[in-house]
Amino acid sequence: MAMPFDEHDDTPDETLLAAFAAGDAAAARRLTFRLTPRVLAHAFRLLGNRAEAEEVAQEAMLRLWRQASEWRAGEARLSTWLYRVTANLCIDRRRRAKGGTVPLDAVPEPPDTQPGAAERMQTHARAEALQAALNELPERQRQAVVLRHIEGLANPEIAMIMGASVEAVESLTTRGRRALAAALGTRKEELGYADER
Amino acid sequence: MPMSDDKHEAARLELFFEAARAHPPEPSAALMAAVLRAAETGQPAPRREPLLARLRDAFGGWPALAGLATAAAAGVWIGTALPEGTIGAAEAGYLVDVAPELAFDLAGDF
Repeated sequence: MAMPFDEHDDTPDETLLAAFAAGDAAAARRLTFRLTPRVLAHAFRLLGNRAEAEEVAQEAMLRLWRQASEWRAGEARLSTWLYRVTANLCIDRRRRAKGGTVPLDAVPEPPDTQPGAAERMQTHARAEALQAALNELPERQRQAVVLRHIEGLANPEIAMIMGASVEAVESLTTRGRRALAAALGTRKEELGYADER
Repeated sequence: MPMSDDKHEAARLELFFEAARAHPPEPSAALMAAVLRAAETGQPAPRREPLLARLRDAFGGWPALAGLATAAAAGVWIGTALPEGTIGAAEAGYLVDVAPELAFDLAGDF
């Protein structure tokens, strides 16, 4: 996801990080606006909790700044490293929470009264239903499904992030998708997709 | 599960994935501020060249620095090779300080 003023900025992340390490404050700002939303979204999908995802995102970005001067160009993509750090921080949190499923934020969204609100509410309801179903998946399946189907990464990159083989990633995503389909299938009338396909 | 069911299931799930992509959590202002603050405090200072390199650049390169060194050495030699004894009024008339600020700067180094 790109922030509005980042839309036409195709400078590679790694180039900006090198500029940051050399003392370029503008590069830090561009990286912050480009990467923080992505890290937050990934953490939220793995944790299912907004407040905790913000804490993880802050910590992941802090680690990025700390190791900027030691970053070795060409060794790995910055996004791969960041996904891995974010996932590890999320896993640590969930383990510290003794394996309990973290509830979704309790604060309700204000009602949407703009044109097209019904469609947006349906989309929003689907996003929430998916998140609830993701929260019930085993950790590795959830991570693989999120990276493959929401972040849109290819299996070899997911394998690098997860420290697993491509075959293992394929197996995890297949099992994860099946579990999601089973969980969401029970709610299809409620979520309004039965009449769409 | 027959193949058509698999495709159907994938298409239905894709609606949910699309919805999730369309509704990413927006970072709070506090999070963005904290990340920027961490970048500012954790940012290394701009790299500084060593003292000799900075001197070289300030004087316009190695030839200029070599000229300066030669002039300084000559100044030291002239200073130490002056005949001892007091300078009379006649000789004193020839001593003109052409660059007093340079002499002041060099005084600290010698």
